[in-house]
Amino acid sequence: MELDMKVDRGEIFGLIGPNGAGKSTVLNMIGGTLRPSQGDITFNGKDITDLPSHTRSQQGIGRVFQENLLFMGFTVLQNVLVGYHQQSLISFASIFLKTSGYRNHEEILMKKAFDLLEFVRLSEYSDEIAINLPHGRQRLLSLAVALATQPQLLLLDEPVTGMNVEEVEIMLDMIRALRAQKGITCIVIEHNLKAVLGLCDRIAVLNFGKKIAEGSPKAVVENEAVIEAYLGAEQDVA
Amino acid sequence: MNGLALGWIYVLMALGLTLIFGIMHIMQFAHGEIYMLGAYVVYYLTASLGLPLLTATALSMLVMAGVGLVLERFLFRRLKVDWSSAVVAATGLTLILQSGSVVMFGLYQRNIPLLAQGPFHILGSVVPKDRIVAVAGAVVLSLVLYLFLNLTRYGEAMVASAQNPEGAILQGIGPHRMSALSMGIGCALAAAGGTLAGSLFTLSPYMGLVPLVKGMTIIVLGGMGSLPGAFIAGMVLGLIDGLVPILFGAAWASMGPLILVIVVLVIKPQGFFGHAE
Amino acid sequence: MQNRSSLGISLGWALAVILAIVSPLALSNIYWTSALTRILISVLMAASLRTVYLVGEFSLGHVGFMCLGAYTSALMTLKANLPFALTLPAGGFLAGLTALLLGYPFMRVKGIYFVILTVVTSESLRLLAFNWSDLTGGTDGLIGFPGAGSLSIPILGQVDFGGSNEYYYLTLTVVCASLYILYCLEKSRLGFTWLAIRETDRMAGAVGINVLKYKVINFSAACFFAGIGGALLAHSEQALSALEGASFGIMTTIYLLVYTVVGGKMRFEGPIVGAVVLSLISEFTRPVEEYQPMIIGAIAIVIVMLSPDGLVTIPKRVGLRRLRSFAPKSKAAAKPKA
Repeated sequence: MELDMKVDRGEIFGLIGPNGAGKSTVLNMIGGTLRPSQGDITFNGKDITDLPSHTRSQQGIGRVFQENLLFMGFTVLQNVLVGYHQQSLISFASIFLKTSGYRNHEEILMKKAFDLLEFVRLSEYSDEIAINLPHGRQRLLSLAVALATQPQLLLLDEPVTGMNVEEVEIMLDMIRALRAQKGITCIVIEHNLKAVLGLCDRIAVLNFGKKIAEGSPKAVVENEAVIEAYLGAEQDVA
Repeated sequence: MNGLALGWIYVLMALGLTLIFGIMHIMQFAHGEIYMLGAYVVYYLTASLGLPLLTATALSMLVMAGVGLVLERFLFRRLKVDWSSAVVAATGLTLILQSGSVVMFGLYQRNIPLLAQGPFHILGSVVPKDRIVAVAGAVVLSLVLYLFLNLTRYGEAMVASAQNPEGAILQGIGPHRMSALSMGIGCALAAAGGTLAGSLFTLSPYMGLVPLVKGMTIIVLGGMGSLPGAFIAGMVLGLIDGLVPILFGAAWASMGPLILVIVVLVIKPQGFFGHAE
Repeated sequence: MQNRSSLGISLGWALAVILAIVSPLALSNIYWTSALTRILISVLMAASLRTVYLVGEFSLGHVGFMCLGAYTSALMTLKANLPFALTLPAGGFLAGLTALLLGYPFMRVKGIYFVILTVVTSESLRLLAFNWSDLTGGTDGLIGFPGAGSLSIPILGQVDFGGSNEYYYLTLTVVCASLYILYCLEKSRLGFTWLAIRETDRMAGAVGINVLKYKVINFSAACFFAGIGGALLAHSEQALSALEGASFGIMTTIYLLVYTVVGGKMRFEGPIVGAVVLSLISEFTRPVEEYQPMIIGAIAIVIVMLSPDGLVTIPKRVGLRRLRSFAPKSKAAAKPKA
């Protein structure tokens, strides 16, 4: 894998390519679960190459994983509350004395969690156990948990895969709203090309671990190398 | 020389545990008791029936392999889903087997006939022959295992199955048979180890605990599911167990393995040859 | 429905506390009082063992930390003439500190590997105690160190904890306080974080939880209480031995594991129930002592096969909602569930 990539603040940046091109690898490297053998990764002007993934989350990088990585035995509400970990109070006093300050704090977090659930339209499911939710709602929950960490950059690995047309539209609208309302930058991996082309400001195309094209959606679609890569891999460009 | 012999006995334990863990994904905590029972079976065969040592050992290995098959079929097969339950079941088994042995055999010192008499003069130093025979026996068994795993269809399936459970099914051998085989072989090895130890030292119902811990240490050091790792780690551990008491005194001897394990874990959490989980 | 079961639980606790307070006086039997003391200690040990399960790991090395705590406290009273009130927490702190140091390499390792590590640690600690004969008396063990001494308590006046009744109440107080602390930890944000780590640690890392740090905190806390248990044990018997078959060997480890799992590892009450029930069974089978381990082992296997979540779940209250108390029900839950 060889890559040189730059994403600007406030962009919705798409990453596409045939299966095995290395797209998830890129997200893993940004998120911190994989280390590059060479080179570095800079975020907000800071070199984060050697930081472990939990620190990167604290720096403002959030992730929605390809598989629905959730706390499956917890309720929807509890899942989001875990997401608020960085804002929670864990101290001697808060554990044993249950001071009113602590209780207020937890109430505030609870309210924030409910607001977030409303944004992702999961309010009515707040007490449902995550594993019982259908795929589409689990995806929305993953988004909510990632949002709870107050990210500046959100890494979305196939956010709409496996969803029906309606759910896809809802998710895309949410991602646009994230940028509009909260100024969150997004890097999106997707196989659903129609969605990506409609959503992203800029797109990079990977094949066999290398970037073969980058630019506006229109430019990428008309790029010969890209078309060949997709036809060569017998992809369905729909 | 004691150290070397002990090291090889522990390696036999580790090999058995590795096989069982690699295929069944269960840590067979009662393995020490299999080791112990193997020794007692040999004792009764030689003392009561007067069978020669080699025959008795072979029979004991078969018997314990059979026990292993029964345990796999009726106990472990039903628990495979939850490894923690398997651990508890194995420990429950340990309690039963150990106390059962105390009741049945009593706490007297017993001995199995010696493997060989007399000293052996080599390179100017005197070594008891039985230690050499013990090491030789362990080496032979390990070689047999090696050959089995690499040359026979079942053996190769076992290796494949340890890496990837579907691999064995592709070879046409079902997972249950794999488990049974690993349990059988593992227990046979443990029985052999117990016999060797019983001959070199004495028998007691508690003799299984230390080899179990040593066997497990070897596994962590060498990497789970890695047989070559088990060999190397066994040798290293045997060396440490032999040298540290001489160099640093008995107190440090107990911390030796632990410190080694910590150092290895910090540097390479999968052990010498393990693969990342 | 919810109210009825929590009422049941509260009544159960109240009953247990009353029994605990009244028994020694009612029984008036020194043998039984010290047996009850030992049962209390094993309750603490089992409960702290379960704490490690909150982060999804099993420790079979608790006994080693108990050993540390026991010898620390005993030696401090013997050689440094310090009062029990100091040496008890000191035993806990040494055990907790050791766990903290060991935790960093250990907690990188998971599942069965971790279990093996803890077993090796426990045995090594025991052997250390055994072999360091100048300090610990080796095969002869450590005897004759002072008991808990006496303390001036308001209302009760000067109380000498040498007597078995007095020591029982001391143990009861310490154990109850410890259980309360463990309970608070479990139900707090910290406990919630531990449960999140147990559930899906990769996701926990992705939301900014420093998984290693929290696992180490958990392990240290659990082993601190193991140390306390050890110190309590040391001064109740006033004799310590690091022999293979004695209190700090693998057998005790196995018993503790069995108590916890048979009682129920999913719930806080589990290990308490398990320790009490199985210890009482052990006591009542004294006449057939040789068969004791066999009986306990058989029970362990039966329970694990029939009711893997333990005795406490047998009253059919197996809900999926294991985390009831952290996130209280929202208004939406007022709808009846199918």
